Amino acid sequence: MIVRDLSAAQLRTALTGDGLRMQIGPFVVRLRSTFSSVRDYIASHYAFFPVVESPGLHFTAEVRRTGFWRTLVRPQATFGADSRFPFTPLPARLAPGLLEWGLNWCVGRLPHPWLLLHSAVIERGGRAALLPAPPGSGKSTLCAALAFSGWRLLSDEFAIVDPQSGDVVPIPRPIALKRQSIDVMRVRVPDINLGPALEDNEGNPARYVAPPSSAVERLHERARPAWVVVPKWQAGSATILEPDSRARTLFHLADSSFNLNTHGKAGFTLLADLVDEASCYKLTYSNLDEALAVFDRLARGEVIHPEGANAS
Amino acid sequence: MSRDYERLLEVIKSPERLSVLSETEWDDVLVAARQARLSGRVVAEVARQGIEDRAPAWLRDRLSGTRAFAGECERSVRWEINRISRAFLTLPHRWVLLKGAAYVAADLPPARGRLVADVDVLVPHEGLKDAESALTEHGWAFVAIEDYDDRYYREWMHELPPMAHSRRGAVIDLHHAILPRTSRITPDTRILLERAVRAGDAFVLCPTHMVLHAAVHLFHDGEIAGALRDLVDLDALLRHFGQDPAFWTTLAKDARELGVGRPLYYSLRYTHRVLGTPIPGSMDAAMKEWAPPAPVRALMDVLVGNTLGRGEGASARFSAIALYVRSHWLRMPPLMLMRHLTRKFVMRKGA
Repeated sequence: MIVRDLSAAQLRTALTGDGLRMQIGPFVVRLRSTFSSVRDYIASHYAFFPVVESPGLHFTAEVRRTGFWRTLVRPQATFGADSRFPFTPLPARLAPGLLEWGLNWCVGRLPHPWLLLHSAVIERGGRAALLPAPPGSGKSTLCAALAFSGWRLLSDEFAIVDPQSGDVVPIPRPIALKRQSIDVMRVRVPDINLGPALEDNEGNPARYVAPPSSAVERLHERARPAWVVVPKWQAGSATILEPDSRARTLFHLADSSFNLNTHGKAGFTLLADLVDEASCYKLTYSNLDEALAVFDRLARGEVIHPEGANAS
Repeated sequence: MSRDYERLLEVIKSPERLSVLSETEWDDVLVAARQARLSGRVVAEVARQGIEDRAPAWLRDRLSGTRAFAGECERSVRWEINRISRAFLTLPHRWVLLKGAAYVAADLPPARGRLVADVDVLVPHEGLKDAESALTEHGWAFVAIEDYDDRYYREWMHELPPMAHSRRGAVIDLHHAILPRTSRITPDTRILLERAVRAGDAFVLCPTHMVLHAAVHLFHDGEIAGALRDLVDLDALLRHFGQDPAFWTTLAKDARELGVGRPLYYSLRYTHRVLGTPIPGSMDAAMKEWAPPAPVRALMDVLVGNTLGRGEGASARFSAIALYVRSHWLRMPPLMLMRHLTRKFVMRKGA
């Protein structure tokens, strides 16, 4: 059963009652909320995620109101993870955003057995490309464009690496877009589902793109990391794909990890193996279509990395 | 979502119960354990019993994630001790590890599955300046706090404001006593430092002082709220050191010497009542001597029972507030307390 199979009443009962238990990537999450905006958001942006009926869960996430008086004057929303409330409450109109930011916190901060990197991940032919980059580098826009043009979305935010196999585990949650990217994507994908108008913590407009249903339907299909591409959007720049050394990429990924320390030596070996198996690049671009063409060439094996391919 | 610690307490008291928990019960235990900062302990117990392989996938994920995190905390505590030893190499005074870092350094049972990496160190009051500048030279800096808080620490408290290492972020609390200078009782730091014992590269308090420190921290200085973890630590220490009958005689003697009979009384009473810690009959006379008047004891029984037994809920919150006020009452004279709490209240409203 998937979320879309639930009637509006069933969804409401689950979210306001014992919780809606959903498979989000490798996590079984129990979601609760009394906000109708959060309920609508889940119905729309998590429509194809599996509902879990067997017992067991990884964590409980809830978006609830703060205190009685706050329901009357300037209502607020607060996020709870396993009955802890790690954030300052936000205005109630941002409740759906709070759900996403809170889920990011749960994935990034709670103890998990996986190695977590701050990176978008897309896949084609079983081979995954990691796009690790800081906010403002155009990572999410590139990821969204790729996810709607032949690549499968594994994640906009997290590369989840399985410590046993070294595979990347999909977590195809909605993609966060900010400012101009929102219009860029609206033009590229006319029937895109952008969700409610929100804002980030600096007050910039922000929207969440519902993931393509095909990506969510393949939630359980893991992928081998084949490329690490550090993207950088730069106004007016030509499209330049530059090979990068594995050593430097290893440090870059280590820096972008949420929990490399937690896994100690095993974590370091895992990351080194991942980089060893991948071809590593830096991509500078200003034209999105040209950037997509670069990824097509990578997928077709038309780009030869000077360090050679270790993967067979 | 109100949860109580009942089931968590059950498995702490009888760890063999872990192997028969249902999946729903497991979730309750893990959430309560996380709130009580005891999930590392639960995971260590699971590993000891070797029951992880039989667990369903979701549970294995949670257990192994927490185990990895506990491993990271232990590694970083050991590394911090190493770095602090290096920074303190030329210090003219003795310095002693307290609490969690001491348990790790001395490989004591409460070190198992600890999920904190902060280090507490005790130095003599006259050695505070040297220690502070040694840390500053080696990359530690005070965490930015308000002037009022800084004065609060320096004038009234028994520790400096927390310092964090600029690159590693690890936090150290530098103490010059185990209770505030303004407190009703002020155990002599010199005695504690003199009798400290070696643990690897560092010194830790001798067994009886270690237990007494844990006792005053929990029942004189601390807020007791969420203190189930501290009580579990005390239980583990008492069970470990208590195997030697001579320990108990020294414990009573040292409690008298330092003037901390009352907190020790509460510690033994509540570890025994909540966790079934064995207390030998030889302690009966001393316990009578330290007991509070009956009405006070009855009130403490209710407050402590509520705070330790339940994670949330109105009665737990009320009891937690009552105990918070009590801890401050013991910490400073009434007028000073009123000024402090008013100031704190105003600051919080302004924030």
